[in-house]
Amino acid sequence: MTQPIVTPLTQALAEGKLTREELKSFMQRSDAPALRRLVLWVLVLIATTSLVTLAWDSWLIWPAMFIHGVVLVHHFSLQHECVHYTVFRTRWLNDLVGQICGLILILPHRFFRYEHCDHHTYTQIEGNDPELVPLPKSLGAYLLYLSALPYWRSKFTEVARHAMGNLNAVERRFIPKEAQRHVFWDARMMLGVYAIFFLGMAVTGWWGLIWYWLIPLFLGEPVMRFIRMTEHVGRPTVAQMSENTRTNIVSKPWQFLCWNMNYHAEHHYVASVPYHALPRLHEKLKDHIHVEKGGYLAAHREILRQVMAQA
Amino acid sequence: MPGEKKWRDVIDVSALEEKWVTRVDLGTRKLAIYDTPTGYYASLALCNHGGADLCDGYFDGHIIECPLHQGAFDVRDGHPVCAPATRRMRVFETRVENGMLQIKA
Repeated sequence: MTQPIVTPLTQALAEGKLTREELKSFMQRSDAPALRRLVLWVLVLIATTSLVTLAWDSWLIWPAMFIHGVVLVHHFSLQHECVHYTVFRTRWLNDLVGQICGLILILPHRFFRYEHCDHHTYTQIEGNDPELVPLPKSLGAYLLYLSALPYWRSKFTEVARHAMGNLNAVERRFIPKEAQRHVFWDARMMLGVYAIFFLGMAVTGWWGLIWYWLIPLFLGEPVMRFIRMTEHVGRPTVAQMSENTRTNIVSKPWQFLCWNMNYHAEHHYVASVPYHALPRLHEKLKDHIHVEKGGYLAAHREILRQVMAQA
Repeated sequence: MPGEKKWRDVIDVSALEEKWVTRVDLGTRKLAIYDTPTGYYASLALCNHGGADLCDGYFDGHIIECPLHQGAFDVRDGHPVCAPATRRMRVFETRVENGMLQIKA
């Protein structure tokens, strides 16, 4: 018989932080807000792609690729929302857009979904949360994490391992047996698509994807590492959602890029609430969660204070 | 006959949340009752993946989504429609008698 668990949402309802009617209203989904936002998203992508083109013959191509990369890596936020089926009401649209984001980011969508489910079950529990980023032990370790080098090493190893039909012990825990072969084929198909891209570039002699996609992706990833750290790093490694997650109040452009995922504690409380309702949910829960009003920079000041205190 | 399934009263249909999912305790069982475009359906309330209460999840048409991981089931026959749900959830036959929703259990 299934054993009941107390989710943060059940707890919030029981404690009166949220009423059932409010919950229902926050959870309502629609395709329209995301489709409108995606139009703007594509326009931003066109703008940053144009920057790279305009800067092609000068050193300015590097800052242009960095700016473009910052937008590219934020496909992670969109993919993350798709993992939760909260971008579109039409379920298959979440799968489709999530797959496209995964292809851009070298992050197979199905695998990320399973991994992320476990992160929501065991948020900030050491040894169980597969996405837990430990508080760096030194300034050097902090900078190394921000370089994204450990991230890429882990991602490339992960995709290669899956393509070869292997899972490590942690992955075997959260990927059910019936889904494992699908995870392997996802990785193989993803590598196959990349092989076609490279073959196409070799045949045509047009290596544009290197400059419009790969280099910007690698240049931008440290920014995503910087943002991802603000979600949980430096918060207590305990099960209480009010303690273990940080909401960051950031400016509108950042909010746009991260699909409101700066409201991270609210998202962990009620993962079924779509991105567009998170600011409203924040108003209900802000007195019950940890809020960093100074945004990403203030969160990093706090992380660095803790890093230096233990060094 | 011992073990024979019988119709049991569950809840007055007027007390159900319209076009949504309603939680009902029936003895030791926690049930989820669904008001759908094609009638009422019933299942066990706890998700068979992680044990979260489906009655706190998002409900749309015939699909109930777990509030913890967004795994989803079709309430008509319990089949899983979305990972990480992989096993069919237990559903019950329903009928309405004199305004009372009953399940066969």
